[in-house]
Amino acid sequence: MTPANLAAARETYHRIASNIAKIIRGQDSATRHLLAAMAAGGHVLLEDYPGTGKTTLAKALAKSIDAQFKRLQFTPDLLPSDILGVSIFDQRDQQFHFHEGPVFTNILLADEINRASPRTQSALLEAMGEAQVSVEGERRNLPDLFFVIATENPVEFRGTYPLPEAQMDRFAMQFTLGYVSAEEEVAVLTAQEHHHPLDELKPAATLADVIALKRAVEDVRISGELKRYVVDLVSATRTAQGVQLGASPRASIALMKTAQAMALFEGFDFVTPEQIQKLAVPVIAHRLVLEPQARFSGITARGVVEEAVKKLKVPA
Amino acid sequence: MKTPPFLLFAALLFWGWLSDFLIVGASLGALLEISRVVKLRWELDDTDFNRIWSFCVLLNIVLVGYVFTNNDEGGINAMLHGNTASAAAKSTVLTAIRFLRWLPLTTFAFLLAQAFNARPSVPLTAVSLVLRWRRRQGDRAFAGRYVDLSYPYFFVCVFAAGIHTNTGARIYFFGQCLLLGWALWVNRSRRFGIVSWLLALAVALPLGVAGMTGFNRMQGVIQNFNAQWISYFIRQRTDPLQSLTSMGRIGQLKLSAKIVIRLEPHQPGDAPTYLREASYRNYAAQKMTWYAGGGLKEFQPLAAETDETTWNLLAGKKVSSRVNIACYLNGWSRELEEPEGLLPLPGGCARLENVPPYMVLKVNPNGAVLAAGRGFLMFDALSGRGATLDAPPDERSTNRYDLAVPPNEIPALQQVIAEMQLPADAGDAEKRRRAEKFFSEKFSYSTWQGAEKRVTTNASPLTKFLLTSRSGHCEFFASATVLLLRQLDIPARYAVGYSVHETRGSGFVVRERDAHAWCLAWNRATKTWEDFDTTPASWVAIESQRTAGEEWLADVRSWLAFQFAKFRWRQAQFQQYIFWSLIPVMLVLLYFIIFRRRGKLWSRKNKTSSAAIIWPGLDSEFYALEKKLAARGLPRQTGEPLADWLERALAEPGLQDLRSPLRELLRLHYAYRFDPSGLNVEKRQQLKNEAAALLGKISAASAARNVTPSKNNSAASR
Repeated sequence: MTPANLAAARETYHRIASNIAKIIRGQDSATRHLLAAMAAGGHVLLEDYPGTGKTTLAKALAKSIDAQFKRLQFTPDLLPSDILGVSIFDQRDQQFHFHEGPVFTNILLADEINRASPRTQSALLEAMGEAQVSVEGERRNLPDLFFVIATENPVEFRGTYPLPEAQMDRFAMQFTLGYVSAEEEVAVLTAQEHHHPLDELKPAATLADVIALKRAVEDVRISGELKRYVVDLVSATRTAQGVQLGASPRASIALMKTAQAMALFEGFDFVTPEQIQKLAVPVIAHRLVLEPQARFSGITARGVVEEAVKKLKVPA
Repeated sequence: MKTPPFLLFAALLFWGWLSDFLIVGASLGALLEISRVVKLRWELDDTDFNRIWSFCVLLNIVLVGYVFTNNDEGGINAMLHGNTASAAAKSTVLTAIRFLRWLPLTTFAFLLAQAFNARPSVPLTAVSLVLRWRRRQGDRAFAGRYVDLSYPYFFVCVFAAGIHTNTGARIYFFGQCLLLGWALWVNRSRRFGIVSWLLALAVALPLGVAGMTGFNRMQGVIQNFNAQWISYFIRQRTDPLQSLTSMGRIGQLKLSAKIVIRLEPHQPGDAPTYLREASYRNYAAQKMTWYAGGGLKEFQPLAAETDETTWNLLAGKKVSSRVNIACYLNGWSRELEEPEGLLPLPGGCARLENVPPYMVLKVNPNGAVLAAGRGFLMFDALSGRGATLDAPPDERSTNRYDLAVPPNEIPALQQVIAEMQLPADAGDAEKRRRAEKFFSEKFSYSTWQGAEKRVTTNASPLTKFLLTSRSGHCEFFASATVLLLRQLDIPARYAVGYSVHETRGSGFVVRERDAHAWCLAWNRATKTWEDFDTTPASWVAIESQRTAGEEWLADVRSWLAFQFAKFRWRQAQFQQYIFWSLIPVMLVLLYFIIFRRRGKLWSRKNKTSSAAIIWPGLDSEFYALEKKLAARGLPRQTGEPLADWLERALAEPGLQDLRSPLRELLRLHYAYRFDPSGLNVEKRQQLKNEAAALLGKISAASAARNVTPSKNNSAASR
């Protein structure tokens, strides 16, 4: 019953996931979320405390795919041209030549993205939203697979800028890794006793495989009823108490696409309500802007979404 | 509720005790305290609170209206009549007082809603219309802010208890101290010891006593000052004791066209020419004022007949005419704390009928009838020729009040008498005829006194009137005539009242400018007082000339006020009528509030149902299974997807072996429900069959579960 492309895509997913699991221990759910975002054509923002494995996860993914990977360390003095690229005058042929910036890649790790000024952060807007870059009036397309993994420290940390709402909205998902259990942590120590296992990680999938995976996700079916459920869930956050800015329709789209990817990973050819519910928090929560008053009274964006999930009648 | 247990109960009890609502206060308090014991709670949302608050506010507005229209001292009545600003001010104060006294009752619904709500506080936006409006405008600054109203309500109770205390200020004061002390004790700062707290309270209490006393005194002083000041300038009415004339005043006399009396004769010929309010005996030439003499003590109370609406002024006198008189009493009786005023009565009035009950009537020897009790009066006056209420002149006494003439006016009067060329043997009738002729031939009516000539003599205005100007208003004529008659040895009095001449429909209206002064002359032959008016008849025409163009507008207003007054004062049970008519209004209001809510719910339902689409797969057999499992005590929550719920349900030990088939079935069900390509015929049949099979298994498992414990029980009992 399952079409061949879906089965192949599932196979690709399992290969990549198990490859990453060799490096990152006890983060299966995070890995699945990360891959779902990639397969759905979105981008991921990892927010967590330093040292929890954000960068390692990103690097593990990059190494697991035989694709171009670039890493960009965001600092307060980073400029947009440092990301997008710049035209340099070549004295030999008396012409300007465009030197592509790190954004022209398949997987981009934007490390500590909230340490750069909003101006620089904004340079990524077009790239993330439309997979293209306009530099010096010229439009340049980014490759078929363009996946940004941004990491950030919580905004309360020193030397950080909060990301603009528009930028936040362009991340399909935001999730945290969190600390792993003591056993898992011991295992991490054991694995790194002699050398870092990341060094000998071999790619598990080719770029073509991943693009096929993205195509396959588009073939996962979703019923009208669940589309309606997605929309209801998102719009519930717009009227929720204490919310200044609710989630956008872009959130609905992201929720649907990631749910399709998740359904594929879980062996379904169609989306079920569970996948939507599981993804609601990572997909929606980071887009909400809470009222200051509500924030002080202990309402969190995560809580708002969880409440909406709990209250809304789920199709069964 | 943030208040400690029983504090609100005590406050409400205190309020009830002091304002005669003891049972009401106790039951309200008990209702609130029950919320601490009973765990039953409403789930009211913001809109519900908005509605309850609106209801409370409306209740208060209605109450204000009710209290205001029911003031005995005027209220809206006084407002319509205009000139009694003091009465209006007084009624406003009374309205506020009565309204505040009921405040704990009228806002109780809101507090009850709070006490029995799941969240023990109310949204800030409900309490303030401004905030509510701003919220509607999109301002969300106050959204999600909640306040607890139990302490404010406590203060409202304590405050309301202090208004109109029946049991004296002292009891209120100590009760209030106790209650506030209680409330403060609960909220005291723990940084300080009990001793310091008690010391602070001990300082605060005497300060409170002193403040209260001082405030009372200050209020008294201000009130006194205020009342005197206002009454001095505003009350324009006939004083039973004195009549200050405008003689000698420069400039035009201006009296308004305001309608003050309405008169309806029973028969066309019954209308009197004059309506007298009072008469006076002593003339103080320096002050140009007429005094009644004798003071308020002279007023003797009258007794009504047994029907309480008939008053016999002159018992046994034959009456020939009957007129219905409607008038306002603009004065204020300090003694009775009620409106008071002189009744305008036709000459020779002997009997009053259809006087509203509960009136107090007094009469003095000068024929003035002082009525007190209500601001508006309508009665029938029956009169006939002959005897009047006035006491006869005491010609024998040494005072001879009714013949007294101030010495400084005598020369002028003698000069006039000489001019009249009276025959030496002229009788009283002849003297009066001559005097009348003299005034009508030689004098003219004017309100304008003419510019005062720079050359001034010592002559009084009356002398000037008699000798030089020979022109003036009615007060000149009346005063001069009284003194002239007295000089001619005819007892005479100065009468004040109204002239009746302007018809309106079948009756008459009397305006303020129709106020008139004339003369009462004693007829020795018939032993009666007779009206004797020497003012030229042209005065009516002259006064009417000054009619303002917009007089009809004022008349309409006056008519409205009259109709209202008639309605209000005719009904002795007016208050009750209003009260009972308010109840259906309030019920309609309540119904509307509830109805609107239901309508809203309906519309919400309609909206969703119209948008609802019949999704595919709702006929799946899995639902029967779900029902069966839910019956085992594991119902699915609103937001809980089937897979999560199934895992929860399958955790039960009795369903171990059903796990994988149920999971498989759920997959089928999901495919049936959520896969847009749907199930083929075989799979659909499979879903049906497996669901039926599993249903049987679950029933069996349930039965087994029910049997097992009983077995165990029997085993244990054995």
